[in-house]
Amino acid sequence: MSKLTKEDLHFFLLKLHSLTGIVPIGIFLTFHLAINSLRTVGVRQYQFSIDLINNLPFLFGIEVLFIYVPLLLHSALGFYITFAGRINVRRYPYYHNWMYTLQRITGAVVFAFLVYHMGTTVVPKIYYGKELFDAAPFLIDAMNREFQTWGGRTLYLAGIFSAVFHFANGLWGFCVSWGVIVGPAAQRNAGVVFILFGLVLGLLGAATVVEFSLHPVPVAPSLAG
Amino acid sequence: MTRETIALKIKRQDAPGAKPYWNVFKLPYLPHANVISCLQEIQRNPVTADGKTVTPVTWDCNCLEEVCGSCTMLINGRVRQACTALVDILEDPIVLKPMSKFPVVRDLQVDRSRMFENLKKIKGWIEIDGSYDIGEGPVFPEKIREKAYALSQCMTCGCCLEACPQFTLTNDFMGAATFSQVRYFNLHPTGAMNKEERLEAVMKSGGIADCGNAQVCVEVCPKKIPLTESIAEIGRETTLQLLKNLVLK
Ligand code: SF4
Repeated sequence: MSKLTKEDLHFFLLKLHSLTGIVPIGIFLTFHLAINSLRTVGVRQYQFSIDLINNLPFLFGIEVLFIYVPLLLHSALGFYITFAGRINVRRYPYYHNWMYTLQRITGAVVFAFLVYHMGTTVVPKIYYGKELFDAAPFLIDAMNREFQTWGGRTLYLAGIFSAVFHFANGLWGFCVSWGVIVGPAAQRNAGVVFILFGLVLGLLGAATVVEFSLHPVPVAPSLAG
Repeated sequence: MTRETIALKIKRQDAPGAKPYWNVFKLPYLPHANVISCLQEIQRNPVTADGKTVTPVTWDCNCLEEVCGSCTMLINGRVRQACTALVDILEDPIVLKPMSKFPVVRDLQVDRSRMFENLKKIKGWIEIDGSYDIGEGPVFPEKIREKAYALSQCMTCGCCLEACPQFTLTNDFMGAATFSQVRYFNLHPTGAMNKEERLEAVMKSGGIADCGNAQVCVEVCPKKIPLTESIAEIGRETTLQLLKNLVLK
C-alpha cells in the first residue's frame, strides 16, 4: 500500500473500531457472560472456571493485548464518533434511528460501568500481584457483596444489559458497514437473529445476577493454588 | 370546514451569518395551493400579519414537480420539497425554516454546494472524453439498468443529509446521497472503469466508514432511493478495496 495519509488513517481507525467491537471485545463478552453463568450450576464449577482462567500462561499479556488495549481503543473512537454526530431521534423517531441513539447511550453506560467493574476487580488484581491475589475467593466475595444490595444489582444489570445491547446491535451495524448484509430483507432478517442472540446473552447475565443475589455462598481459598 | 385564511410562520435571515428572526403572514385560503404558491403570494404582497411591509421572502425553486430538489426546506419541522407540500394537508400555521445542515444564504435559501463538491470528489460522471477513443458503450443488462434507474433519480435535494444524525453543519461527512452516487456510477459498465477511484474517494475522513447506520436517510428520501442498500453495498466494496490495497498493492 502506498503512503498512509491522515485521511486513510481515519478510515482505517473507524474500520478498526467496528472490528474490535466484535473481535476480541464481543467474543470476550460472550465468553465472560457464558462462563460466569456457570455460577447458576454451582459455586465449585464457577470457582474452577476462575482458577482455570487465572492460571493461564501469559495471562497478563493476553489481557492487555486482547482486552485492555482494544477496549480503550474502541471506547476512545466510540466517543469520537458519538461527538461527531448530533442525535435527532426526537424529530425523526424511526426504528433504526432509535438503535443509533441507544447504541451511543449504551456505549457510554458500559464505559462508566467498566470503570467501576474493572476498578473493583482488575485493579486489585494488578495492585496485589499474582502471588498475593487469590482470584476466586476475592472475586466471589466481591460479587457476593455487590449483589446483596439493590444498588449493586441495578448497577450490574444496567451494565450487563447495556453491554449486551451494544454488542448485539453492534453486530448488526458491523454486518451492514462491512457489507455482509446488503439488501433490505437481509438487513431485517439479520436484525431478528441478532435480537434473539442478544436475548440469550442477556438471559445468561440476568441468571447469574439472580443466582448471586439469592445464594451468596462464600468460598474457601483457591482449589488449584 | 371552509378555511378563510391560512397562516405562514417563516424563519428569516437577511444575509449569511445574520441573526434569524420570524415573520408571520396571513394569506387568503385557496384550494390546491402549495407552499411555493403561498411564497409567490407573499412576494406579490409582502405584508406581515401585523400589517408591516417587509422585504419579500426569498427561496429557491425551479422545476415545481419534485425533480430538481432546489425547493427543499423544513416544513412543519419535516424536511421536504415545498412544491409538493400541499396546503390542504398541512397543519396550520405552516412553519417554514431553511434546512439546518447547510449554510443559509438568505431566508429559505441555503447553499448546498457541499453536495456538489462531494460529487466532484467521487467523479460523479462517466468519463467518455480522453486522448484516445474508449469505444462504444457496452450493453447494459436490464437487471442492472433497473437498479441504476432507481439510483439515477437522486436530485441532490439534501433531505437525506438534513435528517442524518451523523451529518452536521461543521463536520466533513459526505452522507447517503454521495455514497449512493458512487454505487450508481460504478454500476454503469463504462463508469466502472473509474470504480477504484470512486471507492477510494469515500475511504477517507467523512467517507463511508463514518456512517452510523441510523438509516433516517432512506425514510426521508422523496425519491425512495434504496439508500441503505447503497450504503451497505459501498461498505462491502470499500472493505474489499481495503483488503486489496493492503495485500495486492
Ligand atoms: S438521495 Fe434522496 S434525499 Fe438524498 S439527495 Fe438524493 S433525492 Fe434527495
